[in-house]
Amino acid sequence: MGDPPVSAEGTNIDGETPAVEPTSVTDEATITDDAELERTLGLSGGLAIGIGTMIGAGIFIFPGLAAGQAGPAAAASFALGAVVALLVALPASELATAMPKSGGGYYFISRGLGTLAGAVVGLSLWFGLVFATAFYLVGFGYYAVDTLAEVGIAVGEGFVIPIALLFGAGFTVLNVTGTENAAKLQNGIVALLLSILVAFLGYGSLDAVGVIGASATPEQFAPFGAFPVVTTAALVFTSYLGFAQVATVAGEMKDPGRNLPLAMVGSVLIVGLLYVVTIFVATSAFESQTLAGFGETAMVEVGRHYLGAAGAFAIVFGGLLATMSSANASILSTSRAIYAVSKDALLPRRASRINLRYGTPHVALGLAGGPILVLTATGRVELLAEVASFLHLIMYGLICVALVALRRDEPDWYDPDFRVPGYPIVPALGAIASFGLIAFMQPASQIVGIGIMLATAGWYAYYAQDVTLKGAL
Amino acid sequence: MTTQDDRNTTMTRVLVPLAILEGESVSAGLTTLLEPMNVTVLGYHVLPEQTPPDQARLQYGDRATDALADIATEFGSADVPAEYRLVFTHNRKRTIDRVATETAADAYAIRGATGPVERLLVALTGDVAVDRICAFVSALVAGREIDVTLFLATDHEPTGRELLDRAAAAISDHAVAVRTELAVDEPPFDALLDAAIDHDAIVMGERAPSLRSIVFGDDAERVAAGSVGPVLVVRTDAEDAKSTADRSAQTAAADVESAGDRDAPDDQ
Repeated sequence: MGDPPVSAEGTNIDGETPAVEPTSVTDEATITDDAELERTLGLSGGLAIGIGTMIGAGIFIFPGLAAGQAGPAAAASFALGAVVALLVALPASELATAMPKSGGGYYFISRGLGTLAGAVVGLSLWFGLVFATAFYLVGFGYYAVDTLAEVGIAVGEGFVIPIALLFGAGFTVLNVTGTENAAKLQNGIVALLLSILVAFLGYGSLDAVGVIGASATPEQFAPFGAFPVVTTAALVFTSYLGFAQVATVAGEMKDPGRNLPLAMVGSVLIVGLLYVVTIFVATSAFESQTLAGFGETAMVEVGRHYLGAAGAFAIVFGGLLATMSSANASILSTSRAIYAVSKDALLPRRASRINLRYGTPHVALGLAGGPILVLTATGRVELLAEVASFLHLIMYGLICVALVALRRDEPDWYDPDFRVPGYPIVPALGAIASFGLIAFMQPASQIVGIGIMLATAGWYAYYAQDVTLKGAL
Repeated sequence: MTTQDDRNTTMTRVLVPLAILEGESVSAGLTTLLEPMNVTVLGYHVLPEQTPPDQARLQYGDRATDALADIATEFGSADVPAEYRLVFTHNRKRTIDRVATETAADAYAIRGATGPVERLLVALTGDVAVDRICAFVSALVAGREIDVTLFLATDHEPTGRELLDRAAAAISDHAVAVRTELAVDEPPFDALLDAAIDHDAIVMGERAPSLRSIVFGDDAERVAAGSVGPVLVVRTDAEDAKSTADRSAQTAAADVESAGDRDAPDDQ
């Protein structure tokens, strides 16, 4: 790994120093001077985290909202989102192969751009994931109510939030008390979900282009013009927030030089394609205003349109699985994000304590679960989604900046297995696009997002001003 | 490829995996049994998926290292402790396999409760060539007061008898006393556990993962659980596994393997 890198310095207000030690990385383990850390996640595990986190929102929550804002051109919004995600996924892949550690984006930025940027991103990522998880949970609530309606129990929309809260608390408790097979379960759910979607979208596409059944509803592609396509892209960007979560488990991935780029780029390409086809199928079934009227669970009506009751049931079932897997994967990422900042003394070390009984990080999971429940209770789907996107986009933009900063003056330890093609254009575009999408968000989301960033910067100034992380691998 | 003679002259290495933070340690009997061997103590800690291994290392690393260093002196001496490694992992089996390969261990131990080992049961099962098991046992018991019982479960008596006799001949130069025990047409797993009752420890061959081992657990783990005593599992090495597979059509080794494959005890 080259010469010994700069070591982390300084203490926080509690007198804790960053726990940074020299390590060497092999394909199968990370070796520190007193222990080895086994790498146990394969490519399929990485893809399952990426796809599992992303797919819940794009297909099962957004089609109605997006079509209402942009018409059939919402497909272009999703495609635009995928391009932005790819422009960030490539630089993130390079950084992840150079620093295959827990913490993902936070880690790259704190090492590439210094402690202030790192602290703001690391703590904002915590809140970004909390907002995203609350958003997935509210979506889950809608699907749970619809599932009950499909089986003949009409409980009404008043139960959406209580159900979301119940399951949010349930996932948190489940993660604390620990199921060793959580990851395998996640893989299975993602595989089942992909099968349902490919079958449904395949049938729907054939129908929509008129190969089978009646031909599609003719409608102008972009009835509201081009501008809403971009604002909608800003809204639905939440559907792409999962790829960077792959980097939060970079420290546990086998053969990281190969698997990390494949998992990040691959999951963006797979879900991007599915999203675009979903919007095409949905807007072919109904006019966009009708879709918008169906709300969060518009896809259920699309399923009913193509395949009757069976189609509707397949979609509500898929929606339950998808929003559940997104929420659960995000809770896990949140706890890893908290661990990463606490390890570097930006939060009290006790935030990453593990309990002896279950071997799980109960404090970090609690710090994830508590705020998630508060936000879920608000039930503001669009605001939750946009704030989550805002905070993630800041991180994505800074990931690109960090890549450029590191490349301009490559430290000895910087030796990525994967180098981004098209440097410096790709990271430059990635940064511009990430920051650019923020400009198209609703003012309320921007204010909340900026408020959170200022708060995290304030925390850094109060708590950990003396801590130096730049270049401390 | 090393010859039989080379194997006997080079020290044999045994990996001893221990769930170090769960307070696992080794019985005095196993420590004594492994005295002639090169021992690597593998302290591991298995974490649920939601916990990054590094997070556990940060919290428990020092405590685990202290405990491991103590155990390492039990295997070697206070001056020259045995080698040890500490691994935080999500997957115990993968960790044992990786470290065993990296240290070129010939066998790994499943700890168990035992006093001094006076009688050793050697099961000629699994995917490991009988020659390799015999070489390991010879190195283990050489010059010591340990009686060896060679055990084989088969449904074809003549070839089984022949294999046992050949193995007994190979070991007899090194062991004080060698007995053979052949179980014909009995469920191999139960027969092995029955035979284990009046023995202090078991040596057996590793077996490739199968559907059955995924459902009921690893063969060796089940034998260890059923017999209570320590189990030493002789690993296949890549070349042996290949040559065994090549020969398996016509030799008795094939009988041993297939006899084992047909049993499906589910007492776990």
